[in-house]
Formats: sequence, structure tokens, C-alpha cells
Amino acid sequence: MNQTVIDTHHISKTFNPDTIPVYAIQQVHLHIERGEFTALVGPSGSGKTTLLNMIGGLDKPDEGNIIINGTDITKLRASALIAFRLHHIGFVFQSYNLIPVLTAKENVELIMLLQGKRKKERDETAARLFEQIGMAEKMDSRPARLSGGQQQRVAVARALASHPEFILADEPTANLDSKSTANLLDMMEQLNREANMTFLFSTHDQRVIERARRVITLVDGKIASDTAFVNPDNG
Amino acid sequence: MILLLQLAWRNIWRNKMRSIVVIASIAVGLFAGIAVLSLYKGMMTNRIRTVIDSEIGHLQIHARHFTQEKEIEMMIPNGDFLLSEVEKFPLVRSAAPRLIALGMLSTTSGSAGVQINGVEAEKEQQVSHLNEKIVSGNYFTEKKNEILIGKKLADKLKIHVGSKIVLTFTDTANNLVSGAFKIRGIYQTFNAPLDEANVYVKKETLSGLLGLQHCIHEIAIILQSDEAVENTLLPLQQQYPSLDVADWRALSPETNLLVRTVDDYSYVIIIIILFALAFGITNTMLMAVLERRREMGMLMALGTSRIRISGLILMETILLTLAGTPVGLFLGWMGVRYFHRTGLDFSSSGEELMASFGFSTRLYPEFPNEKLLPVLLIVCVTALLSAIIPLIKTLTLKPAEALRM
Repeated sequence: MNQTVIDTHHISKTFNPDTIPVYAIQQVHLHIERGEFTALVGPSGSGKTTLLNMIGGLDKPDEGNIIINGTDITKLRASALIAFRLHHIGFVFQSYNLIPVLTAKENVELIMLLQGKRKKERDETAARLFEQIGMAEKMDSRPARLSGGQQQRVAVARALASHPEFILADEPTANLDSKSTANLLDMMEQLNREANMTFLFSTHDQRVIERARRVITLVDGKIASDTAFVNPDNG
Repeated sequence: MILLLQLAWRNIWRNKMRSIVVIASIAVGLFAGIAVLSLYKGMMTNRIRTVIDSEIGHLQIHARHFTQEKEIEMMIPNGDFLLSEVEKFPLVRSAAPRLIALGMLSTTSGSAGVQINGVEAEKEQQVSHLNEKIVSGNYFTEKKNEILIGKKLADKLKIHVGSKIVLTFTDTANNLVSGAFKIRGIYQTFNAPLDEANVYVKKETLSGLLGLQHCIHEIAIILQSDEAVENTLLPLQQQYPSLDVADWRALSPETNLLVRTVDDYSYVIIIIILFALAFGITNTMLMAVLERRREMGMLMALGTSRIRISGLILMETILLTLAGTPVGLFLGWMGVRYFHRTGLDFSSSGEELMASFGFSTRLYPEFPNEKLLPVLLIVCVTALLSAIIPLIKTLTLKPAEALRM
């Protein structure tokens, strides 16, 4: 039986409401089930990142509710929202955003440390994740010594380290070459398939769109189309 | 916690040059502060030593109200017996009796009001080391009517060793008494006003002129150590309740006030130095926060609370500040150690000027061990104050906005 992980109810967001209002998101109603591999697409300024930020609890909608795994995050207080993000949501950013002074392993470990996990568990999880992303030998490297693709893999490992309900990836391939993009998407697909991990991407990248099993198109803050593909190879 | 501490430490070294400049400025500031504190401590020690070793001694005993009124009839009853009793006190190293009269010193060319101290030559040199302060002529000999006068007074009256002077004062019956003396020696202490106001004659000579035998106005006491004052003062006061037994602090309140004022003032100097440094630290940390806004936004997005990120910034500020502290303290300690051995010559500031304030021209700085903890506390407070503006910036960061930067 499918389980709704993300459920937005008519959410809207307007920037600069008192001066020159920008209607970033308008009445968006969206359901994402566990195990989906979904791409949120649309032209620049269509509201992809704003929607992703609101789903990730980084921004609050002016109207509507966002239910994540049964919890209405729009009603959570700031501190509770931070704790919620820590335990339920994984983030992957366009520019990797690894902490440059920490090694790859320490970057992954940091989130578990924030969750209060013991060293032994942190070490085991980090070792397993680096094995999973195929970078076991690069665990002790600093981000500056890793390629863009490798850094993004570490960022995915960091997102997975907290055992989230889903991963939000904002333009994860924007800075990667074709080979790195393919490798990253292979890895994400594998995680989706084997661990039933839910992915929601915001992207312009055709290579990501081609792999997605559902593509939601946003135009001017509204859902213009929502297409699901039957098989993993986009039919 | 260890990882966060590691993160804070490594963050400091992201911009090595900037951090080194701040750490160096903290080290130099602290070195300067320690240098000032050490010099002050050296000056105060010098002043206290002069007060104890040359002027007052550790303790003095007088008849009630003698120090205020200095009336010649206010003598210590059974003074000689008391002196012998005091000398038996366990922590007393030496004690010297003095007979004191206020009078006029006249020469052919001028006159000056002086305090005439009748002393026992042997005992006096053990208490005030007067014999070591003779700069011209000699200490007392067996001859009669010898007088030792201060250099300042000798210069003022243009008299020298061998000059004849006349001392005039009143005896206990208010009769005017005069005595002719020959200058045997000229002494000089680090306290010029004292040198100008005090002359020394032998006690038996003064006793003879006053017509008093076995009388004492003052017993000056030197103890085994400075610390022995507390353990000796109270027993003496309890044993002789009818007399004034006082320590150097009470007898020289101006010195005590000076020491305490300089003590407080030295903290003000440290605070001013570190307050100035706080601006540099604040600037560095503010730059560090502004440069890392996106990273902080990412940390917040991942679920790091603002309090935790603020804690990280605070940790970085404290580490940055504390990194310069041991360097500054070590440099200060080394400098003080060197100058404590060689001394610092302030003769270019004017020997007379220094002496007029009761200081030697060669000062020996002393490391202010007792102030280390307060100084470290001030350093920590500086770090906390320096972190305020960067912390406000951090606490007002919005993750969604920070990630867009």
C-alpha cells in the first residue's frame, strides 16, 4: 500500500506583498507517495525552489498546509521545525555545500552528531554509506580534493545519514558534467529502487527529467502539468 | 562536541593570514598589558620596600595619639623594657627605639623645619639601614653631636659634610633648647621629601638636650617577612592595648592608597587594551560569518539549530582569542623575567622627579602572578563581547535566504 510522504494543501507564497508582489506559489496542491522519483521542472522564476524550500520547512507558506508523513509542518514552532528537518528531511544542494574544513566522512558524520548518535553508530553508518556511494577510499579526503561529482555523492550520503523520509534535491546536477550526472543519477535510482527512498528534484536538467518517473511542471507558481510514467525508464 | 570543537578550530584557519593578525594583535596587546602590570607591580614593590626598609619598618609602636600630635611629652612608658620585650617576639627580626622632636635646623645661610630623630646607631642600621644610604661622609661614630641630614636638605641649605648647624626645639617643660651639631654624613633615600624633613642624631645626645633619660617616642620594628605583619600586629595590639601599635599600611595610608589605586588602575589599562582588541576580533568574526552565510544556511537546513550555530561562532571567537593568550603571556613572562634581572633605568625621567614620588630610578618589573586569573577572565569576557555582533548576525540568518547567497 502506498503511503503519502508529502502532502501540500493549496499552498501559496507571495514575496514583497506590500510593495511589488511576486506570486511565487499559488494554490499548489501536491501529493508525493513513498518511493517516488519525481522531478519538479519549470522555467526560471516558476517557483521550483520556493516550493522545495517550503516542503523542506525552510520557508513558510502564506496560505495552506504542508503535511509531511502525517505532521503539519506549517504549524510547527521554529525549534520543532529544525528538529523535524534533522530527523525527517534530507537535502542535496546545487553547489554541494560541503563544509570545506571537514573531511568527507566528517561531513557525513556531522548530521548524525547533531542527531545525538554515538560514535560507533556514526562510524558504521558512514562506512556503509561511503560503500554505497562507491567512495569508501575517499572518506578521509577534504572536499577540495574531490571532483564535483564526488562532492555531490558525499552530499547525498550526508542527506541519507539522518535516515530521512525523503530527499529534496535542488538542481543537484547543475554543476556536473555528463558522466558525473549519469553516475549520480544511477546512484540515486539505485537508492530509490533498493531502499525505497523518495526523491524530489527541482531541475532544468533534461538528463534528470528523462530518469524521473513523475514530472511536475510549474509555471508562474502554479502546477501546469503533472505526468507520471509507468516504468522506471520513462516508458 | 569534539567534532564541533574541531570544526571551530579548523574554521579559524580558513583564512590563515587574517587569524594570525588577530592572534598576533591579542598576543601583543596582552604582552603590553602584562608589561604595564609588571612595571606597576615593580614600582609598588619598590615603594613598599622603601616604606618598610627605609621609612617606617613593618610595625611601629607609639604612645596614644603621638603620630598625630607629635608632642614631646607623649613618650612610651617604660620604653626600654617594652623594647626588650618586643625584641623577644618570635617573628621580630630587629627593633629600634627613636626619640623624636620637631624643631628648626639653622645654618649661617638659612634654616628649615625638621623632625629630629634620636636613634641608637647600631639598632637603627638594622631597621632602616641608614648606614647604607650615606652618599657623602660617614655614619655615626663615637664622637658627640654628630648629625646625619638628607641630601635634599643639604642641597637646599647649601651645607655639606663637616658643616656646623644648630638644632632648636622645645623640651618637655616648653623651654627652648638649642644644640650645635656637625654634619657627619649626608644620606639619600628614594623619598626626597622624607630626606628633606628628617635629620638623625644619636639618641643619647638628644636625650641629654631634652633632659630625658631612657625615654622613647617610637619603636620601629622589622619582622622576619612581610607576611609576618598579620601574625604580629594583633598580638602586639592585644598585649599593649594602651599603646598605638600600627603597621606600615596604617602609618603610611598614602602608600597603601597608592598601591590600591595603582592596582585598580592596572586593571583599567588591561580592560582598555583588550577593549580596543575586541573591535579587531569582532571585525574578523563578522567577516567570517558573512563569508559563510550560505554554509550556515545549509547547516540550518540540515537541522542545526541557531543556538548550535551560535555556539560554533562563540567557540571560534573564544578559540581565536585564547590562541593569542598563551603567546602574549609567554612573551610577557619572558620580558619581565629579563628586566627583573637587569632592571629598567628611568634615570632619564629625572632622578629628583622619581625620588619626589618616593621611587628609585631603577625599577625591577615583577610578573603579576596574582593577576593572571583576573586577566584571563577579562580575556574571556573580551571574547564574549567580541562575539556579540557576529552572533546577532548569525541568529538573524534565515536559511532559505542564506542558501540563495
